[in-house]
Amino acid sequence: MLPFRRLIPVLALAALACGCADEPDLVVYCALDQVDSERILKDFEAATGLKVRAEFDAEAHKTVGLVRRIREEQARPRCDVFWNNEFAHTVSLADDGLLASYDAPNAASIPETFRDPERRWTGFAARARVFIVNTEKADPAAVHGMWDLLDPKWKGQVCMARPLTGTTLTHAAALYVALGDDKANEYFQRVKAASDAGELQLMPGNGQVMRQVKDGALAWGWTDTDDYNRALQGGAPVAMVFPDRGEGELGTLFIPNTVAILKDAPHPEAARKLVDYLLSLEVERKLASFDGAQIPLHAELKDEPHQLPIADMRPMVVDYAAVGAQIDARFEALKELFLD
Amino acid sequence: MSRPLLLAAALVFVLLGLAPIGAMALRVEPGDFAGLLGARTLGLLGRTLLLGAGSCGLAVLLGAPFGFLVARTDVPGAALLRPLGLVPLVLPPLFLAITWTVLSDLRGAPMAIVLMSLGTFPIVAFFTALAAERVDARREEAALLAGGWRAALRVELPLLLPAVLCGACLAFVFAINDFAVPDYVSSVGPKFNVYADEVFANWKLDQHTGRAVVTSLPLVLLTLVVLLPALALRRRGTLATLEGDFLRPAPLRLGRLRWAALAYCLLLVGAAALVPLGRLVYDCGGGAQGWSGARAHAAFARALELSRGDLANSLLCASAAGLVAVPVALVLGHAAERLRLGRWLELVYVLPIAVPAILFGIGEIALWNHDATARLYDGNGLVILLFVGRFLPFPLLLLSGAVATLGPRLEEAAQLAGAGPARRLARIVAPALLPSLLGAWALVFVLSMRELDAAILVPAANHTVIFRVFNQIHFGRDDFVAALALLVVFFLLLPGLAWSLYGKRRVEVLP
Repeated sequence: MLPFRRLIPVLALAALACGCADEPDLVVYCALDQVDSERILKDFEAATGLKVRAEFDAEAHKTVGLVRRIREEQARPRCDVFWNNEFAHTVSLADDGLLASYDAPNAASIPETFRDPERRWTGFAARARVFIVNTEKADPAAVHGMWDLLDPKWKGQVCMARPLTGTTLTHAAALYVALGDDKANEYFQRVKAASDAGELQLMPGNGQVMRQVKDGALAWGWTDTDDYNRALQGGAPVAMVFPDRGEGELGTLFIPNTVAILKDAPHPEAARKLVDYLLSLEVERKLASFDGAQIPLHAELKDEPHQLPIADMRPMVVDYAAVGAQIDARFEALKELFLD
Repeated sequence: MSRPLLLAAALVFVLLGLAPIGAMALRVEPGDFAGLLGARTLGLLGRTLLLGAGSCGLAVLLGAPFGFLVARTDVPGAALLRPLGLVPLVLPPLFLAITWTVLSDLRGAPMAIVLMSLGTFPIVAFFTALAAERVDARREEAALLAGGWRAALRVELPLLLPAVLCGACLAFVFAINDFAVPDYVSSVGPKFNVYADEVFANWKLDQHTGRAVVTSLPLVLLTLVVLLPALALRRRGTLATLEGDFLRPAPLRLGRLRWAALAYCLLLVGAAALVPLGRLVYDCGGGAQGWSGARAHAAFARALELSRGDLANSLLCASAAGLVAVPVALVLGHAAERLRLGRWLELVYVLPIAVPAILFGIGEIALWNHDATARLYDGNGLVILLFVGRFLPFPLLLLSGAVATLGPRLEEAAQLAGAGPARRLARIVAPALLPSLLGAWALVFVLSMRELDAAILVPAANHTVIFRVFNQIHFGRDDFVAALALLVVFFLLLPGLAWSLYGKRRVEVLP
């Protein structure tokens, strides 16, 4: 038997030795739902023979875990490609000089609105911010736009996620850019007052909004198209309403996935290959066909059939770079209002 | 005590448990303290105190009788109820929240308090149980003869109270550091935001890490303020009654009341463990859409197919963390008990559990993301280091308590016979504390298997099974999530089950 003194370092070294990683060909930090993005990344591995190490964000941490890691690791970047499921934090990383420029040839037919002018990030495969309506609780035709959430006739029947996380925070920041500070402030103060009065329910996230509506606990609420489609695929009695479609109204916010290569990425060549792959028509088609029903942004795919009636949508015109640049400041202000 | 061994163990503790905290503390600047305690944050702190006080109060009301009944009375099935009562500690509190929000309309603060107390009553129960079974039989019999039940209670309550209060303090600490349950149960109805929300929210702000560290301070101080009396009470409670020529007391006969006692215990274990587990079984077989064995089988098959690698990673990392932590904890725990002024070391030992998990996780990045440690950083190595650093205080306190129950005479005799300090520790102390060593390993294993909040920031921890469970909860794939959660619970309970079946001595999880 080994003496006790020697046993400790032997055990410790054995435990740690089995904990050293092999060097991958590419490291991806991915905030898109693991269940969908894993399939795409496996296809990429099969197509290129490259070994990818993918790291995902836990839903509870809503992108923050990965973004925080990228910032913390900037002295020695470990990530090559950041595949974000929204744009605001990607823009924020670009503004802080943490992303490299890459003008991907496959992005040529993606509208300029969804591309950084300096090519540090590119948007693709979007979700949209929509109302999910329980058809047993409300007539979808009676739901029109964002101000309806505050209409007394829906008192106690509507919900949205607290605008402090995920796409709801991004959406809130977009509303500040689109409506201006005064109008947006008024809107969110009224949302808070309605919540305090029990007239509107503020949920921890969009997933809970979807669950409350699909289960009939509430009539309708604001969520993302992927959540709506999952409820629909699960057989729930739900319909979708694209908000504010009228002339002169704000329209529906698109929240594209964004892909970016990290500055000083350890594997830049492989990173470019993955970005090219993710921005291909093939990947947008696949993401559109999954339960998440992402909306393709390539002009060539505009007229292809889609799971969702996206032709009915009126897209919100918004400066994505401006939204991203404000995200921290907006979060801080909204936290003061909603976290009390 | 062998100085090289003690220094090596202390170095491990400092490097893994304290250095990540130190790395984050260095980021704080004087300006970061501005606006720390405004009206809004004080309101959040007030609600945190309410959650902590409510949860630990209810945990005492539920747990103390449970602990006494299963340890000291002839309640039917006590031998089974006692380990079953530990199951809620193993379950992530969010599992309880997901189940009970479906079954009950209670929401907001009352629901958060009920759920946190259901999750933490086992701590009170088992401290109570240990103290109760260490009441000397002669003292109890004398009290019964002199004045019946009332006299016995008057004698025993002062002995039990420190243990109960120690459990209550720990329940308080667990409750105030949780924000997922308050957040989840106030989805509908009045909001119940707590200070832990503020701590997590400030980590989202990209530029102000110093401020985020400072934001943690009130919670850290509150945790320490409650942990320190817990340490003192632990000595006066579970350990105090062991001195002298101890005689184990006989079970108290409850008569007809034993069936009421059984109903109470079953109700409690049912609400805190059996109902959530039953709900998972129901969901994995199809739930409201119609339960079937075939669906449950398919859900388990899919869970295993998709998560086999993650499950293996979790088991490997959690087991390895236990293996590394236990010897270190034995050396340091022994030192804390045997060295003069060693008990003051316990004040330092609890620091890693007093800081928020996310701060600890970011500290790991600051500490280990360098070229020289690149392979360790990217692999499971860092996950193991994180688990050891974060959870070392638990086996450490457990083993220092266990050493306290072991008289120093054997060690002194071995020393006279020429055995060195390391040899005494290996040949005298460790074998005598085998159940506690196994309990310590199991504790680190369970906590590591459940860990998510700090691990989210560590690369390889993204490939653990608890990470996948919480990622999937969002999407409403209830059968798959339930099957996966049941697999996790099975592996969490496995060490205890295996020891119950094959072990000859009882595992000491709480000394």
